[in-house]
Amino acid sequence: MSAVSSSGWLYGAIQSRRNRGLGGLYLVVAAFLVLYVVLFPGILSVGGFSKFTQNWFPLALVTMAQALLMLNGGITLAIGPLVSLGAVIAATTMGGVFGVPGGILAVALTGLGIGAVIGVIVAQLRLPAIIVTLAGSFIITGVALLLLPRPGGFIPGWLSTGLAGHTPVAFLLLVLILLLWKVFLATPLGLGIYAAGDNPIGAFRSGVPVERVKIAAFALSGLLTALAGLFVAAQTGSGDPVIGAPFTLNSIAAAVLGGVGFLGGKGTMRGAVCGSLLLSVMINVMFFLGFPPVAQYIAQGLIIVGAVAVPELLKQWRARR
Amino acid sequence: MTDKKPLLEARQVFKGFFGNPVLKGVDIALHPGRVHALLGENGAGKSTLINLLSGALQPDSGAIAVDGRPVGRFSPATARAAGIAVVQQELSLTADLSIAENIGLGAFPRRFGLIDYAALHRGVREVCAMVGLTEPLDMPVADLALGRRQMVEIAKALFRKPRVLILDEPTSSLSAHEAGILAGVIEMLRDRGTALLYISHRLNEVQALCAHVTVLKDGGVTADQSLSGIDGEGLVRLMVGRETGDLFPPRPACTPGAPRVDVTGFSAGLVRDIAFSARAGEIVGIGGLVGQGQEDLLLGLYGAIPAKASSAEVSGKSGLPADVGAANAAGLVYVPADRKHEGLVLPHSIASNLILPSLGRLARNGFRDRPAETGLIADLARRLTIKGDVARPVQALSGGNQQKVALAKWLPLDPSVLLLNDPTRGVDIETKREIYLMLRAFAAEGRLIILASSDTPELVHLCDRVVVLREGHVAATLVGDAISEEAIVGAAMGVDRKGAAA
Amino acid sequence: MKAVKSLFRNPPLLTLVLVALVWLVAGLTLSGFGAYGHLRYLLELAAVIGIAAAGQTLVILMGGIDLSVGAVITVTAILVPLISPAWDPTGLVGVALALTIATGIGFLNGAGAAYLRVPPIIMTLAMATFLQGLLVVVAGGSAVTVSNPAVLLLGQARPLGVPAGILLWLVVSAAVLLIIHRMPIGARFLALGANPLAARLSGVSVARNTLILYALSGFFAGLAGILVLGMNRQGYVGIGDPYLLTSIAAVVLGGTSILGGRGTYAGTIPGAILLVTTTALITVVNASPGWRSIMFGTLILSLLLVSGREARR
Repeated sequence: MSAVSSSGWLYGAIQSRRNRGLGGLYLVVAAFLVLYVVLFPGILSVGGFSKFTQNWFPLALVTMAQALLMLNGGITLAIGPLVSLGAVIAATTMGGVFGVPGGILAVALTGLGIGAVIGVIVAQLRLPAIIVTLAGSFIITGVALLLLPRPGGFIPGWLSTGLAGHTPVAFLLLVLILLLWKVFLATPLGLGIYAAGDNPIGAFRSGVPVERVKIAAFALSGLLTALAGLFVAAQTGSGDPVIGAPFTLNSIAAAVLGGVGFLGGKGTMRGAVCGSLLLSVMINVMFFLGFPPVAQYIAQGLIIVGAVAVPELLKQWRARR
Repeated sequence: MTDKKPLLEARQVFKGFFGNPVLKGVDIALHPGRVHALLGENGAGKSTLINLLSGALQPDSGAIAVDGRPVGRFSPATARAAGIAVVQQELSLTADLSIAENIGLGAFPRRFGLIDYAALHRGVREVCAMVGLTEPLDMPVADLALGRRQMVEIAKALFRKPRVLILDEPTSSLSAHEAGILAGVIEMLRDRGTALLYISHRLNEVQALCAHVTVLKDGGVTADQSLSGIDGEGLVRLMVGRETGDLFPPRPACTPGAPRVDVTGFSAGLVRDIAFSARAGEIVGIGGLVGQGQEDLLLGLYGAIPAKASSAEVSGKSGLPADVGAANAAGLVYVPADRKHEGLVLPHSIASNLILPSLGRLARNGFRDRPAETGLIADLARRLTIKGDVARPVQALSGGNQQKVALAKWLPLDPSVLLLNDPTRGVDIETKREIYLMLRAFAAEGRLIILASSDTPELVHLCDRVVVLREGHVAATLVGDAISEEAIVGAAMGVDRKGAAA
Repeated sequence: MKAVKSLFRNPPLLTLVLVALVWLVAGLTLSGFGAYGHLRYLLELAAVIGIAAAGQTLVILMGGIDLSVGAVITVTAILVPLISPAWDPTGLVGVALALTIATGIGFLNGAGAAYLRVPPIIMTLAMATFLQGLLVVVAGGSAVTVSNPAVLLLGQARPLGVPAGILLWLVVSAAVLLIIHRMPIGARFLALGANPLAARLSGVSVARNTLILYALSGFFAGLAGILVLGMNRQGYVGIGDPYLLTSIAAVVLGGTSILGGRGTYAGTIPGAILLVTTTALITVVNASPGWRSIMFGTLILSLLLVSGREARR
């Protein structure tokens, strides 16, 4: 076995092992997709496919952002406000002197910066992520409201058509982001996220810079969330300081559906992305079947509790036997 | 052994937690090409010393020196850079990552910033061959049994090509075959000039492998000498440093009363389908290697983990207690081994901890009866000689006094069965003696004491009967004169001894 | 110097001193702030937060958190007008029904946390979302006006010039302080909050206490909802939303550890008053909802930084 082929073997083997336990999820997702195609054959056209993936894209991004933190043993309740802030910053800066590139840069830096600050507070001061991000979510909402008290701002028309028109650009972007995640996961820092989530003391003793890993996870999570906000702004053509609200719970729901555990280190990003796809399809189906939009809330509440409770009940039931 | 300069030293290190000194001026020097044994009872400060030597903790005073030069801020990163690797008792593995990734974690070979999986594969294959790990390298660690995980942990340390290797109880979960492989690896590393520190309770391993010994007792060094010419008994004398007779109360002839615990077909956690019975007035020891189901036996009887039995009679009631509340009501109490996490509410006061199990009993009309509580607390503190203000947080107490609180809080319930899990772990000699006297007195009052212990002398000198568990089954039941350290260790290791197995 | 040090070691007292200082300074510098009517108004607002934070204090003491407080307030505020039977002249039947429902919601939260092992924060968040959707379906999104006499009495009556809401708060405070300091269950909550495993092995039933705890939290949130309804005379979707974060903020302001096991309602009381006062002052300076949101977040964060330092050890 030469070095090169053995490298391919080890990496490939590890990657294929990560699909273990996800077979059921893949099946459910496939079944729902088939159902969707049967109900709405329009998805098979380029336009239909584009629209479908555009609805999925921001959810996929925030789910990745949430899963990244949950895998690391954290959680964030600031997803929704940060999506809103991303949208607001995009809508307020793109009309400025630096135009669209300046706007994208501003959104990305804001996401990275806010994420890093939260990460420093959580990691260095050892405060619970859940309450820090809860407090952070109010500060972020406030900033978004100050920048843009009511929906408005400016997004160039070509950007909206480019990202959210009749082309599957959103899907291609998602593929690109997933590829970048794969690359990230092949760095010591990326694997450190898993290790520090599952066994922080062990990872620390092994020489993983646990605190730096945590800060990086929060920063990356912030970046993904803010970019989802940028996309939402492009989709709607304007900025809205409260548009992100539903994403907080949705991101948790999708990650939990995808098998990501609350205690860190358990689960996979591919599972989380599948979970977001599943949730997106469910929401679409409910919408097309004529459920009122608020029924979504009811469904989400049930889905989250179910996704956590069912495996737990199964475990208890198995233990009894 | 021409190079006499030690690779790693601790010089007069002091370390305390919450004001309790754990290490009081300890020196140790690890030389290249030598296997150095570190011995001491539980709680003597071994783990703390290892954490100082590996940079996981900073000494309060004193210094850690590498290659003869004191290092200022010693962290796990600088320790690793200096070539120091540690195999801890608590594994440092990530369950969902593969064997290869776990071995490389924290020391990945890189190319262009990415993990170089080809180089990783080569390096990991090499160390896995050394320790006899034949499992596929892409297998998640979660799929391995505990002993195999321990081998991964050892491979992980070897992968770092250490100049100094510290092994903390590396064989506690290994099979005899695996332990043999490890011994070979240790000898090979020694011959290559690695400095090794070896911590083990198994004195035969220490004798076979080690050339030099440091003995810790109550945070101080009581011996630092060559092992040549010292036999097993000499080792024990070094560790104990006194006649065991002083420590243990005399054992009266046992006159057991009515059965208090009688289970057959009992399973809980690691314990599989065993029969166990014990009578009032007995002290029954539960022995065995670490993690053979001793704790699960106690927890199962206590209703704290799911358990089942084909027939069960516990404290005069048929059937196992459904939960802890039912167990308490039936007169069963439990003192856990890990008192900091399981036994005590550390930040709360001594008084709150003492009163916790009695809250409901003392309440009148749904409200707490403060004068009655204060009286009870004062009485308990006096009976167990817990000195000082009971409003202090319990974490300010020394290990021995904490253990007294963990035990004392149960006395108001007048328990008929006491389930004790390693009650003298990390406890000073004086308190140990007090606890032993108390347990004897309890037995004389007709209570049943079931005592799981990792301290073999305790089993030998205190217990009327010793049940040795191995892999969740009863390996031997020893009574009276048949109880000896050799018989217990032999049964625990699976050595068949005539007359021992029952 | 020693007095200052011991003050910092007693968070409830520290918060109380802060409130007194803020009132003194604001009363001397801002015209109208020190007027009896204004101070009474502040206390009336604080009463709602204080009552909603009563359950939250208990939950946080036990190491959990209840994110459904706002939703439960909204549920009771909307349901009381809808379910109060016309044949009942006192209106007490409607109040009792609504409180039963609120307690039931809390009970469900507890059941999810205790039996399904859903982390409390997720369980209560999911419950809040669920209720939000259900309410829009049930109430249709429009405001409902209350005519229940008991509720109106609670919200509007001023026996001896003291608003009934403040009197209710006094009763709730006495009850919660009794629970925490004078009843066995309070000591059990605290033990579970500081070390659930040790408490369980000491014979404290986790499931039982979790159920009672979240049911209590639901009950107090329902009580706050009825008071809010009485003060507003109208219930609408979203009426309870502001009380979620303020209930948590009042608890943290009162020096209760967000990690559980340490604290008292005696701190939450001045905490609620301090919160209302600072909000009033912020409103005087700048009424923008954005700034208010930022202020809330910063307040909680800075309190966490202060109290977290101690918890780290």
